[in-house]
This record gives sequence, C-alpha cells and structure tokens, in this order.
Amino acid sequence: MDALFSDFSDAQKSCDGFKLSRTISPALPFDKLRNVWKSCNAQDVKNVVKRGIHNTYISKAQALPKDETAGWIEVYSAYWKAVGALVKVRDSLSPNNKSPWANVYETWKEVVSLLHRGYLAHGFEAWTVPCLYVAGKYLREFAVKADEERNNSSSMDSSAEANFQDDFNPEAEQHEKLEDCARQLNRLFNLCLSDRAPLDNSRKWGIYHVANLLFKTYFKLNSAPLSNNILKSLSAGRGDMPPLSKFPKSQQVTYKYYEGVLRFLEEDYVQAEKHLTEAWSMCHKDAMKNKEMILTYLVPCHLLTTHTLPTKKLLEPYPRLQKLFLPLSRHIKGGELHAFDLALQEGEDEFVKRRIYLTLERGRDIALRNLLRKVFLAGGFEEAKTEGASKVRRTRVPIAEFTAAISLGSHQTLDGDEVECFLANMIYKNLMKGYIARERGVVVLSKSGAFPGTGV
Amino acid sequence: MVPAWPSVPPAPGTQTATAYQTTYQTPAFTPVQVRQGFGQTYSAPQPVYPATAYGAHSHLSPQTNPSTVNSTPATPSTPAQAKIEWPESVRSYVQRAFLQHNMDESVSRQEMEVKLKETISHAAATGAMYTIDWEAMPLPQHMIKASRVQYLQQAQLPAALSFPAATATSKKRKSSDMSEMGVSGGAAPPWRANQSRLEDRVTSPADKRLAGSEATPKALTKHQLKLEKRQKRFDGGYQSSYRDPSPPPSNGPVVGTCQDLEKRYLRLTAAPNPSVVRPESVLRKTLELLKRKWRKEQNYNYICDQFKSMRQDLTVQRIRNEFTVEVYEIHARIALEKGDLGEYNQCQTQLKALYQQGIKGKPLEFKAYRILYFIHTANRTALNDVLADLTTAEKSERAIKHALGVRSALALGNYHRFFQLYNDTPNMGAYLMDMFVARERLAALCNICKAYKPDVPLRFITDELLFESDADAAQFILDHGGENLLEDRNGTVVVLTGKASNIFEPARAAAFGRVDIKGQI
Repeated sequence: MDALFSDFSDAQKSCDGFKLSRTISPALPFDKLRNVWKSCNAQDVKNVVKRGIHNTYISKAQALPKDETAGWIEVYSAYWKAVGALVKVRDSLSPNNKSPWANVYETWKEVVSLLHRGYLAHGFEAWTVPCLYVAGKYLREFAVKADEERNNSSSMDSSAEANFQDDFNPEAEQHEKLEDCARQLNRLFNLCLSDRAPLDNSRKWGIYHVANLLFKTYFKLNSAPLSNNILKSLSAGRGDMPPLSKFPKSQQVTYKYYEGVLRFLEEDYVQAEKHLTEAWSMCHKDAMKNKEMILTYLVPCHLLTTHTLPTKKLLEPYPRLQKLFLPLSRHIKGGELHAFDLALQEGEDEFVKRRIYLTLERGRDIALRNLLRKVFLAGGFEEAKTEGASKVRRTRVPIAEFTAAISLGSHQTLDGDEVECFLANMIYKNLMKGYIARERGVVVLSKSGAFPGTGV
Repeated sequence: MVPAWPSVPPAPGTQTATAYQTTYQTPAFTPVQVRQGFGQTYSAPQPVYPATAYGAHSHLSPQTNPSTVNSTPATPSTPAQAKIEWPESVRSYVQRAFLQHNMDESVSRQEMEVKLKETISHAAATGAMYTIDWEAMPLPQHMIKASRVQYLQQAQLPAALSFPAATATSKKRKSSDMSEMGVSGGAAPPWRANQSRLEDRVTSPADKRLAGSEATPKALTKHQLKLEKRQKRFDGGYQSSYRDPSPPPSNGPVVGTCQDLEKRYLRLTAAPNPSVVRPESVLRKTLELLKRKWRKEQNYNYICDQFKSMRQDLTVQRIRNEFTVEVYEIHARIALEKGDLGEYNQCQTQLKALYQQGIKGKPLEFKAYRILYFIHTANRTALNDVLADLTTAEKSERAIKHALGVRSALALGNYHRFFQLYNDTPNMGAYLMDMFVARERLAALCNICKAYKPDVPLRFITDELLFESDADAAQFILDHGGENLLEDRNGTVVVLTGKASNIFEPARAAAFGRVDIKGQI
C-alpha cells in the first residue's frame, strides 16, 4: 500500500490525473491486490490510509487542503474494501457468499460514490477526472460480471421490488446491476456536465469519456435510444463546453462512432454517414478492430446514400467485412436479383446481429435497378426514322421482358401484377424514370436518363 | 356546524366542488338522502376498499386489519328514502375512527369526516349497511392514506374533496379525465358496467404507472404528470430507483389466501396482504369464470380489470408456469381483439420472458404477433431484435413465416404481396394488420399514382389493395382528397392516376408519422 501512496503523492505534485487514476485501479496483478488487502484490516484501514497519505507530504506547504485529504482518505478506504472483495472472488474464499461479484460491484459502487462526493464536497480538482474514468470503467465491468453470475445461478428472487409491480420486469431482472450502473454513470455524467468552474479547470473535460461509457452501457442494455438523452444534453450545453476537437482523439473517435451508429439506427443515413466518416478519418491507423466496427456501418450507409459499393482494396485488411459485404456487392453490381436474395438470406444471422440487415435489405432496390437497366440496354435502339439522326434507345419496353428478366435467376414465374408493383416502386423512388401504361402492358421510359445517375 | 349535504350525491365524473367544503366539528351524522337507482343487478362485486388491506398502515390499528376483505356481493335492497336508523356497528365504527390512538397526523379531521360520510352513505346507498362487516372495515384515515398513494379516484367524490389541495387545479380537469380515473381505479362501476369505455382503457395504463411514488399527489394535472414521467425517464430511466421508502418487503413470495373469484384491480403501492391475494387454485377457477363471462357479456372494461388483478396476483406470488402463460395469452388475445394495444403490449412483454424460461404455451403465435406489432409501430430496433431471436426452425412455421413475409414485403415496397398476405393471416394477426393496412394502402396509392399513366381501372386498385368492393376503394380515394380522380368511362370507373400528382403524399406522411401507443415497448 505504501507504493500506492507514493504514487498518489507524485501524481498530486505533478497534477497527473492519469497517474492518480492508476492508484485506484482494481486491475492489478493478483499478488499486488492481495498485498493491498493484507496490509491492514477493517478496523485500522482509515488510520493506515491517513498515515500513508500524511507521510508522503514532506513539508506542510505541499500538503493538500485538509478537506481534500479527508475526501481521499474516504476514497482509498473504500478502495481497500473493494480490493478485498476482489481478492475473495479470486480466492473463492467465501463459500457462504453466493454472489461474490455482486459484492465486488457494491463495494466498487461505494468507491464511485465517494469519488462523486469528493468532487462535490471535498473540492477534488478537475485534473483528477481520470479517476472517474477508471471508476466508471470498472463499475461497468463488475456490473456485467455480477449480472452474469446471478443469471447463471438463475435464482428469480433477485429483486424484492417485484412485489410492487403488476407484472415482473424481465429486462430488469436480467440486467439489474447494469441498470444500476447506468444510473451511477449518469450521475458522473451530470457531475461533469454541471461544473460551472472556468474551462481550464473544469470537470467538463471528463464529459466525453463518461458519455462514451454510458453509450456502451445503454447499447448493452438494449436501450440504445436512451443515449439520445446524452446527445441532447451535450448539444444543449455545447455553448459553454470545450469543442469536441479539443478532447483526446480516442474520445472523439468513440463519440463520433456512437453518434453515427445512433443515427444509423434511426435511419438517418446522411447524418450517420457524416459522423461515421469523421470517426473513420480520425481513427488510429492501427486500430483495426475499431476501423472494422466503423466500416460495418459506414459501408451500408454509403450504399444507401450514394449507391456506391466498397472496393476490394478498402476491405482487404478485414476478412470478416469481406465475408459480410463482398457477395452482396457483387450481386448488386451484376443485378443478380435472386443471387442477392440468397446471399442476404445466407448472411442473415450475422447481419441481424450487427443490426445492418434491414439496411442491407434495401440494397435490393439497387440490384433490381441494375437488372432492369440491363433489360433496357438489351432492348437496343429504335429504328432510325431519318437517315443520320442520332440513335435513340427503345423506350417502350414490354412488361413481359422485365418479368422474364426477374424470373431468370429464380426460375419462378412471377405474377405480372407483382412485377408491375416492383416497377412502380422503382419509378416512385426515382431509380427509374418513366411510367407504366397498364392497358398496353408496356413501360414507357424516359428518353433522357431512364436510370438516373447510371449514364443511360 | 352542519354541512350542506346535497340531496343527491353527485353523479360520477361531474364536478361539484362546492359541496362538502365546510368543516365538521363533530362526527355526528344527519340522516342522508339515499342514492337511488342502484338497485339493479350487479355484475361487478360490491366495491370494497382492498387498498387498505394491503397493510401499509395496518399496524396503526390491528383490529381493523381484516382477515378477509368483505366481498359479499351486495344484496340489492330497496333503498330507504326516509330517515335511517344507523346500526350499532356503524356507530361504533365512527367512534373508533376518532379514538385518539387511531388518529393519524397526516390526515386532517376534515378529510376523515368527508371520507366517513362517503363510506357510510355509500353503504346506505347500496343497501349494504347491514351486510358490511363494520368491525373489519378499514378506518377512514387509512382509506385516505391508501387512496392518496394510489391515485385512485373513488368514483363518487371528485378529487377535490378528498384532497383540499386539489381545488386549485381541479377546475382544469375535464369530465373525461374524471371518468378515466374512475375506470382505472377498479372494475367498471355498476352504473357503467354495460357501457364500452374503450378509449379510457387505452389511455389509462400509462397514467396508472405514475402512481408509483407516494410523492405523486393524485391531483396533479395531466401535464404535470407527463413532465414528471419525462423526468423519470431521462433521469437514468428506470422506475426502480424512484420508489419511496416503503415498509421493508417481505422476503420471498406471498402465498395468497383469498378465496373470492373476482377481484377489482388496484395498483399495489405496498407489500401485498395475503388475505387479498388469490392462490393459484382459485385463480384457475377465476379464469374459467372470466372466459365464460367474456363469451357471454363481452364487457371489455370488466374483463380487462379482472385480468389485471389476476396478473397481479400471479406476479406477487411469483407463479410462473403454464397457467400464467395461459392467463397472459388469453388477456393478450382479448386486448388484441378490442384494439387495446397498451394492455396487449404488457402481456406480450411478459409472455416473451415466460417463453424464454421454457414454459409451454403458444410462442409461435405470439412471436408472429410481436413481429406484426413492431411493423405497426415501425420500431426498427425492436424488429431487428425479434429477428435476432428467431431460430431457423421457427422461421419456417406458418405464422412466423407469414409475419416475416409481411415485413419483407413492406420493406421492399411490395404492396402486391403485402395485400395477398393480409388476405391470408393466421390466428388473430389480422387485428394487428388492420391497424396499419390503411397506412399501407396510402403508400401503395402514392406509388401507383406516380407510376401509372394515364389511368388504371378502379377494379385494379380494388384488387391490388384488397378493398372489399369497388365502392370501398372509391370511398377510400374520396376520403383522401381524390375526388377529381374518378371518372366513369363507358361503365367502367377509372382512376386518373396521371393527374394525381402528389395528392396522397400528405396523408401518407401523416399516417406514417404517428404511431403513438401508451405503454409502447
């Protein structure tokens, strides 16, 4: 524990928030954790911490204000307790305690709230916010572990509050601790948001990190829409907040990624593309996993907004993305409608898991457009009426020809009305220009640009 | 000081805030004129006050904690017009209410007196004066406290009366609000038993959910309640953190002892009292009874209320088995039939969890509904989650295959296929599809108007969009501003799609913009 206090003192002297945050990290090698735990007992932990902190001050001038010191003493005492809970998990020391992770979660939550109180009541300075990052990060991890542990033991009497509800709440039962964790993180978020100190000494510098943690938690809770509240309060407070670009790149990228994915889920593909592109361009060149995650959403966005497909080169470093997107791309490009359907079906599970199925499905329109375009091109040109006039494509295409083209891949005969329905959709979506003359069974296509944006 | 006691008690749902305002000095009761016209048959049980029996404050007066709540069906007796001789039991009840050790600081004497009057006159009015077990009747202060927590409007008294603080805002409340609360508080009162109040039911669940915290005075305006709800959602989002300190909940589930088949629904605000909870054996009989009643009477208000109380009893006893599933399934189907999506939704959520625990039922049927429901609410995120949940085997089952077909047809704008599927919907899915079929017709119409020129036969629209008849199709077009599009040409009506330009676009946008269901997942 002494090492911990000398680090604490160093960090305080140099105002190094990240160094300080490492002193409350629970992710230590196990023997170190155990040493911390063994270095004192429940009765004298406060005294030990107190002495430890005071001993590091060489002169009085260096010492922290008394109030602040008191706050840190509380934090480290709680930290010691949480370490104890962790040690017990590893040792499986307590057979009576059926839920060691829940215990870790609760003790860690105490660390979080004492930190929270430290900022509000003990005047912790803003440069120490990395401590919040560490606290929040592990709170989330412990919550996930505690929920897993409870769900494995499958006891249903987890929450007494079920007594007051008309129906039980399955989601809450499954994610009890994580939901609690979301609340705690929200408190931290507000702690950062509500700091009115001048910017160079403001907790606002911690806000995007906490926001990112919250996004992560909400996504896991299956309540991604709650993230919109975070986005809203961030954009509402934008005036007196440091611009995003002043924050560490890692935080910017994560934030932009989540913002993009949230827009994606709301089907606002233009905005989604904008945010994801920003994330993409800022992402560290070697962060392959992150880049892959960004592309997972950016590629479908691109397909819908600009009708462009990813190149082989772009996907080259990502075998998984190749598997996801290349077959579809190929079929879209070739207008192979049936093959596209099959490929979509093939990858359905994976697409659904990544929440891109419903978006990729719309790629069928493009595949169909390409197929119809082929029919149009195959129709050739009208017989020139006058010698020397420029050639004009045949713009009256019998519906039967389209029907034949669509049936070609699947070997299933389609009912003419259904084909008309497809054609109507193409026209409605401006993928094809012209009109259906039902009585005559033909489609009359525009002489200039029957398929906008494709050169014919 | 003797108050002005109105000759006829106020009709339910009306504002008579002028009455009852004076302070009572003594609990003396002048004989009251009696409510008339309630002597008819009752389909609902005699309204009792089960709220108090949940024991939130019963420690104050153990003798008032009934072992079984009085639920004797009221024997309708001819209401006495003239003066009433108060039975001894009533007198002692009144006396007991004002005994020093029974007094409660938070309930003013005035409120108590109003409550007492209400209780007794109600008993007199329903002719239950002699059948009620006054010994077991909760004291007025307890009823008041219980009703405060519950946002429960006793149908007989406007909110303003049991809550003096409410007078300022109560004027804004419309009569519809009053009736809504009356209904949400319990089974439809006898005088309304045969009226269909579907709108009330659809909107009330959300309001009820607010009643959770004691801090919610029931007289808050709707607007305030909405704000508060918002606040709760944004504040981290989960109801559980907003529970006020309540009596420590007992460990483990309750085991009910109540033997009554019927029970009105009241939202719990405290740990339930076993004496008002029905055990599974009784609930099974209840279900049979309700099934019979539903077939015979089709009274949705009553049925919904009864099912809610059943669900509550099941939940507090943590009964999760095939019977539970059956209850939820039946309630979901009934709600579906009546278009009560809020209630349906609640059942659906529960069913999903129950099926997940491997309890048998009709998971395929309900998964299919679930898909259709999310199509209706256009909830893409949820739809994606449902897709993720399906196994390959399930995807080939008829109901689910149908629902998935509907989904993909709509996603691809294939209205032709969509209406074919609509024509052939398994189980009760058509009730759900009915809800978005109009919207899809508009979308298809927009499509057709843009794509077809110069015109199409009306019959084509009728067939493609699956209208019952040409007349229906024409009416639909007329309803959405297409009066200039229909033309009679040698006996066949044609739709001048070429002239339609964007006539149907606004209607389409409006239809897709607004899917707001209370209790939406």
